[in-house]
Formats: sequence, structure tokens, C-alpha cells
Amino acid sequence: MSRKLKFNIFRYNPEDPKSVPRTDTYYLEETPSLSLFIALNKIREDQDSGLQFDFACRMAICGSCGMVINGRPGLACKTLTKDLPQEITLMPLPVFKLVGDLSVDTGTWFRTTNTKIESWVHTEAEFDPQALEERMENDLANAIFELERCIECGCCVASCGTANMREDFVGAFALNRIARFILDPRDKRRDADYFEVVGTDQGIFGCMGLLACEDVCPREIPLQDQLGILRRKMAFVGLKNIFKKHA
Amino acid sequence: MITVKTYNLEHQPSRLSAYLDWLQMLTGAGLILFMWSHMVLVASVNLGAGVMNAIAYFFEATYMAQVGGPIIGATLLFHFVLAARKLPNTSQEQGVIWRHAKMLRHTDTWLWLIQAVTAMFILVMGSIHIWTVLTDLPITAAKSAARVQGGFWGVFYLILLPMVELHVGIGFYRIAVKWGFIKRATRKGFHRFENIWTGVFILIGLVTIIRLWTLPLAGH
Ligand code: HEM
Ligand code: SF4
Ligand code: SF4
Ligand code: FES
Repeated sequence: MSRKLKFNIFRYNPEDPKSVPRTDTYYLEETPSLSLFIALNKIREDQDSGLQFDFACRMAICGSCGMVINGRPGLACKTLTKDLPQEITLMPLPVFKLVGDLSVDTGTWFRTTNTKIESWVHTEAEFDPQALEERMENDLANAIFELERCIECGCCVASCGTANMREDFVGAFALNRIARFILDPRDKRRDADYFEVVGTDQGIFGCMGLLACEDVCPREIPLQDQLGILRRKMAFVGLKNIFKKHA
Repeated sequence: MITVKTYNLEHQPSRLSAYLDWLQMLTGAGLILFMWSHMVLVASVNLGAGVMNAIAYFFEATYMAQVGGPIIGATLLFHFVLAARKLPNTSQEQGVIWRHAKMLRHTDTWLWLIQAVTAMFILVMGSIHIWTVLTDLPITAAKSAARVQGGFWGVFYLILLPMVELHVGIGFYRIAVKWGFIKRATRKGFHRFENIWTGVFILIGLVTIIRLWTLPLAGH
């Protein structure tokens, strides 16, 4: 027997001075393999054309449909209603700037953060369009790709107590990003250079190990492992500097 | 020619965060080791008042209590100063983390809040306890028993015991995951181990308090 789902959806349009934050309720008959993405589109089509939410790829690749689903940040397109109770509460991701209803601006946050941590391969090598592509061991390429799979959905940041409390904390996303460049031999930065961007309380030392990021990441990026490796590495870089200063 | 070294603070990466993180972890780990040892020593009263008295005598005759006690007290205060940097200081931050924890319903996030709250109890009660014991040496089973049987200290310890064991157990788990000793693959199992470990220590503590409460007082 199909369930009649009850949706409590956060509504607010910051552009409209008359709008006040509220929760609207919608009902929808559950159909087989119904995802939240399909459910929201049905609601918008049949019940409320003003409802705002984001999506593009509907297959967990673009990272635009992140929202808080019954308290947990996750992707609307990857979440099936059959895995949820009959009553479903949807809220926009915290930390990011609200565009309206369930839509938030993750783009600005990610661009700013990527700039702050210099999220690109630093190299002096001249680019030669004629040359063959540089070779890399398969294992290393796979290890880098494992971390490269991040889709910048923002779920890890929204679920992080530290990021919610402290605006300048770069979040698991950025720390994973740095871990990815540390692995990459094409990036000529040394450990001391990485220390400069994440060896702070806004970086790895601000992380309190709450591991919500690890538990919500829809791509299951090994955030816990990367955070641990990075903390140890950066902590030792910090120590090494004591001895260098006096040498 | 005279040259003056100036440091451009903006481009000099501060190593302070790294040092403080080391110290926070090391003071935490040191206090964990101390608390486990402390429990074993106090629990010796369950083997007989004479055993506890002999151990206490050993620590005082070698001046380990007189010197070590204040060091532990100082470490506790130092650890507090370090860890307090991570606590939500303003009521705005406290509101944010509280609403966040309620929304997320995520075990490890709750554990952190428990750690932050138990820390406050330990700061006040631990300091009182250390002061009371160290200003009334020597430690004897009879004196401890008399204190507990007075009622006030019995209740005091019944509150302090779970606070310390929770904080220590969660702190142990947190150091392991933060510093990468425990990986994704072993996290669940380690979490269960830590719960059991904490439970066992609370149990030993309870048995010890009951033993002190029922120890016959000489001359009564
Ligand atoms: C004065 C009272 C205390 C306060 C205010 C306090 C506060 C805190 C706080 C807020 C944290 C979390 C820090 C973080 O997540 O980065 C923490 C961590 C910890 N605390 Fe305490 N604590 C106190 C006493 C103790 C005692 C007595 C012990 C051990 C017996 C202890 C052991 C630990 C450990 C092991 C950690 C984890 C350290 C880390 O994550 O690096 N604390 N403490
Ligand atoms: S690490 Fe995971 S949760 Fe965070 S932005 Fe990337 S994919 Fe999303
Ligand atoms: S481990 Fe916790 S504090 Fe660290 S980034 Fe993840 S959610 Fe935030
Ligand atoms: S719509 Fe692209 S990740 Fe969900």
C-alpha cells in the first residue's frame, strides 16, 4: 500500500521584505522509487509554482541539490522517500547564504574558500601543448581521484558544528582538497607551504573531530582518514619549525 | 651597518595553533593516564584498608603526592585554558551549537557537547577535590571513609565520578579519531570498546564509593 507523505518545507524569500520565515505543509502520494528530487518537482508542478530549490544533474554529480533532510544534510536527488519516515521535513543548508526556500548559494562560499586555500596545482613548469601528458603511477592516480570525487555539495560544511559556530573555519571540504594536492607530485608546494594555508585554527587545528562531515558526505569521501593524516602532518611541520628557528 | 630584523606578521605563518593543539592533546592524554591510575589506586581500598594505606604511604614517603598533586592540578588548569579556546564562548555561539546538535541528532556531535558540559563540572569540582585532599595529607582509608560517610562528599563523588569518566572516555575516543590513530574502518569497533571501557571504570568507581561508605570507622 502506498503511503501519503507529509512534507514540511521551509519557506522564506529574503528578497521580499514582506516575506517571513515559515513552514508550509504539502501532501504527496508515494510512488515506487520516488526521490526527493522528483517529489519536489511534483509539488512545484501541481501544488506551488513558487517553491524554490536547486538541482541540475539529478544523479549526485553536480552537487547543487544539498538540503537538510529530517535534520541531516544530504542530496535531494540521491535520497529516496522509502528510506524516510512518512513525515519529511526539508530545510535549506545552514552556513551558506539563503537564496530562497531550499535554495542556497554554495558557489560563492566554495569560490572564496578555494581561493583562500589556493586550490590549484602550483607549478613553475612551462605548459607545452605538444608534449605527451605526464605519466603517473596508477595507484597514485587512483588515490588522488578518490579525493577528487568531491562534488562541492556543501553537506560536510553544513553538518559541521565548528563551521556553524565559526564563520572563518574552512571545513572538511577544504582540508580534503589540500590533502589531494599534497598527494599530487605535480603540485610543487612543500609541507611548509601547505602549513601556511591550513596550519591554523581556521584550518586543521580548528577541527574538533565531530565527524559529522564523515557521516553525511554523500560521496563517502574518506574525510575522517584525511583529517587525521593532515592533522598529524601539519602538527609535525609546526614542531619542525621550533628546531629550525634555533638552528 | 645595522640591520634590524622585522617580522611581517601577515606573512609569517603562526605556529601557535600547532603548538597549542599539541599541548591540548598532550595535557588531555596525560590527564587520561593519571585518571586511570588514580582509579586503580583508590580502588585498592576494595582489597582492604591496609592496602590503600600502604599505597598512600608509599606515594607520600617518596613525595610523589606532595609534588605530583600540584602538578596534576596545574595540568588540569592548563588543559582547561587550552580546550576553552574551542568552547562556544558567546551566547550566540552556544545557541548555534545547541540548535545544530538538536537538528543533526548525530552521536559524535552530542558527545562533544557532553564533553564541554562535563568539563565545567570537572573544573570546579576537580579543583575543590584536589585542594581538599592535598591540604589534609596524609591520605588514609579511614579519613576518606569518614569524608564519604559524612554525606556531602559521598554525593559530591557520585556526581564527579560519571562526569570525569565520560569526559575521559570521550576524550580518549576523540584523540584517537582526530589524530588518525583510528581510521574509518575501525571507528565503530573502537567506539564500542570505549563505551565498555568507560562503563567498567564507572562501575569500579561506584563499588569503591560504596566500599568507603560502608567501611567501619575506627573508634565509632
Ligand atoms: C578543567 C576542566 C576541564 C575542561 C574545562 C576541559 C575541557 C575540554 C574540552 C572543551 C575539550 C574539547 C576540545 C576539542 O574538542 O578540541 C576537551 C578535550 C579533552 N579533555 Fe578536557 N577538560 C577538562 C578536564 C579534563 C580532565 C580532568 C581530563 C582527563 C582526565 C580531560 C581530558 C580531555 C581529553 C583527552 C580531551 C581530548 C583532547 C583533544 O581532542 O585534543 N579534560 N576538554
Ligand atoms: S566532501 Fe563530500 S559532503 Fe563535502 S562538499 Fe565534497 S562531496 Fe559534499
Ligand atoms: S570532523 Fe567535525 S569539526 Fe572536523 S570538519 Fe568534520 S564535522 Fe567539522
Ligand atoms: S541534482 Fe546534481 S547532485 Fe543532486
